[in-house]
Amino acid sequence: MKQKMTAAEKREATWGYAFVFPTMLGLIVLNFYPFFNTIYQSFCKTGDFGKGNIFVGLANYQQVITRGETWQSLWNTIKYAIIEVPLGIVIALLLAVLLNKKIAGRSVYRTIFFLPMVCAPAAVAMVWKWLYNTQFGLLNNIFHTKVAWISDPKIAWISIGIIGVWSIIGYNMVLFIGGLQEIPGDYYEAASIDGATGVRAFFNITLPLLSPTTFFIVQTRIIGALTIFDLMFMVMDKTNVALPKVQSIVYLFYQYAFTNGNKGYGATLVMVLVIFIMIITYILQRAEKHLVYHA
Amino acid sequence: MKKVLALTLAGLMAASLAACGGSSGGAATDGGASGGSSSGELQVNIWDNNQLAGLQQIADEWSAESGVKVKINVVDWDNYWTLLEAGASGGEMPDVFWMHSNTAQMYMENDLLLNLDDYIANDDTVDMSKFYEGVVDLYNRDDNGSQYALPKDHDTIALLYNKAIFDKYGVDYPTDDWTWEDVRDAAAKITEAGKADEVYGYAINTSNNQDGWYNIIYDYGAQVITDDHKGTTIGSEQGKAGMEMMRQILEVAAPQTVVAETGTDSLFNSGKVGMITQGSWMINTFYTNENHDNYAWAMLPYADVNGNGQCDKGERYSAYNGLGWAAAASTKNPDACYSLISYFCSEKAQKEQAQLGVTMGGMKGVSEDFANAFEGMDVSAFTRIEEEGDLFFRPYTRNTTVWEDALQQNGAFLDAWLDPSNPDTMAKACENAQKIIEDAIAAE
Repeated sequence: MKQKMTAAEKREATWGYAFVFPTMLGLIVLNFYPFFNTIYQSFCKTGDFGKGNIFVGLANYQQVITRGETWQSLWNTIKYAIIEVPLGIVIALLLAVLLNKKIAGRSVYRTIFFLPMVCAPAAVAMVWKWLYNTQFGLLNNIFHTKVAWISDPKIAWISIGIIGVWSIIGYNMVLFIGGLQEIPGDYYEAASIDGATGVRAFFNITLPLLSPTTFFIVQTRIIGALTIFDLMFMVMDKTNVALPKVQSIVYLFYQYAFTNGNKGYGATLVMVLVIFIMIITYILQRAEKHLVYHA
Repeated sequence: MKKVLALTLAGLMAASLAACGGSSGGAATDGGASGGSSSGELQVNIWDNNQLAGLQQIADEWSAESGVKVKINVVDWDNYWTLLEAGASGGEMPDVFWMHSNTAQMYMENDLLLNLDDYIANDDTVDMSKFYEGVVDLYNRDDNGSQYALPKDHDTIALLYNKAIFDKYGVDYPTDDWTWEDVRDAAAKITEAGKADEVYGYAINTSNNQDGWYNIIYDYGAQVITDDHKGTTIGSEQGKAGMEMMRQILEVAAPQTVVAETGTDSLFNSGKVGMITQGSWMINTFYTNENHDNYAWAMLPYADVNGNGQCDKGERYSAYNGLGWAAAASTKNPDACYSLISYFCSEKAQKEQAQLGVTMGGMKGVSEDFANAFEGMDVSAFTRIEEEGDLFFRPYTRNTTVWEDALQQNGAFLDAWLDPSNPDTMAKACENAQKIIEDAIAAE
């Protein structure tokens, strides 16, 4: 049974609501309204300029599910995540461990590795686009090769994934360093007395105690990687032959919703992605108990 | 040590706060004005920075007469449409802006543009028959026959070549008498001789449609979109013949993967390509290049379909397109908007636009000066083709982008571009294109 609030409690509650109101307003206007509107639009043949939507039931879903490009794009997105998430985490972890030691110029290195995070994604993509260029690119020039890094459907997805890894390492690294600094030094001292140092200490102390941080990064990066758009959009021309094998599902959404002006179909594509991310997140949450070591 | 750090941080925060205040203040005034200000200043949106200086000059002359200030904002092509669409949905459009064939029908049908009928009827200075019919039609709404924009300009296509490359490999310069076969033969010689330097005779991507392969299709007697905007003959025998010619050029041109990664304009400006076709809106890009002394323009080649050895009517086509000056239906100052549009499209301003090298006019007979606007570069090929050749309006339907993009990708002409040695792939691509366009029109 709920007790009746006293006058003081009521006043406090009123002020509480007053303080969260701006945040709530922002969430409702910028997140909740668009979210429900997207769900609504996915059931519509949308009119121009948000006017004249016609309810068509599941027709959009039927088209989205039966078209091969949807599943190809989803698969492309997963392939991108398979490169970006593990590599981005392993390399960042190694760097974090190295840069957590007292070495000369530590903060300089940290800054350098974090720099890609500060650059505008569009600028990063433009630079990589020219590095990868088959004819004039720096990569082919250095290695004296003639590899079509971003035009060969077999390797283009890897090339794009590498840019993703390069961009995210610094961010992951900073989170890992934060996690590393929370591990008390006593554990390592105790372990070294017992004769466990170096690699052994890393696997038996650092990794388990870092697992909450690792899990957080894995979860956020998977969602980040599944919603990737800007790299493909900036690096690859729309006449690039490898595009169908690289374009992510959000790229496909952009193509339909904004280039072709078919907002309803675009909304449906996004719903498919949302459902997919929800499934992944659910699985991860269930797995957390087994994967994360809570000291 | 800590104190210093704290002080620095506090200082930084104060500085950033001040910066925030400054920028948000600026944004607020901008936002207020772009909603169609009642204080008198007209907001004008365009997407081409090359034209800003010239248009501002013309607009300032109008301001001197009318006493109303004009602020021209440049927004790049992609963001221009995103912004305009968002503005249209939210009721915050600029007062006066450019319209384009890709989207005009949609904006007119949704009553977002100011209906100009009454204004034109009461305006003695505007004679609709003086403008290019294709551009006038474009901004004329099918269902009620009303006019929603006045023609700002028109553009045509020409052949651009690099004299240095032709000299180096001992190939004769293109002339106005060239057929597409001549282009093919010259491209073959350059590509063959330039193998070691990775120089190609010709470059064209599937996305070079209006400025590229559309023209060949019309030369051979087919149409990408028929005159009633309800069909296509791209898959006909004539269409296939045109694209077969294109295929033979592609065989000796830069490979598709090269043009997709680097772009035909960049390749040309890097001295890697002997010839490309380009539109008059791109002249400035080449004119401002450091090697522009080597660049020259020739008329688009023709297709000698009847085989009599000369260019007859209907054998040399150039696509043309025209932007329109339109105003928002929601503007607070419709009279001033129309007055500005009418001024931009008056004979005086149209001539000035050509003289300043901004663009060729939307009015006929005002563009001779454009040919002389670029000192040291003869661009008369763009105006001569109007006398010596034929023009067709850039193919459009209600939702052009849907099929236009699809034609450039797998399942259509990209297949043929990747496999230029096989005539069957190109023929199949034409048939696929026919179906893509028909399906897209049926879905509109």
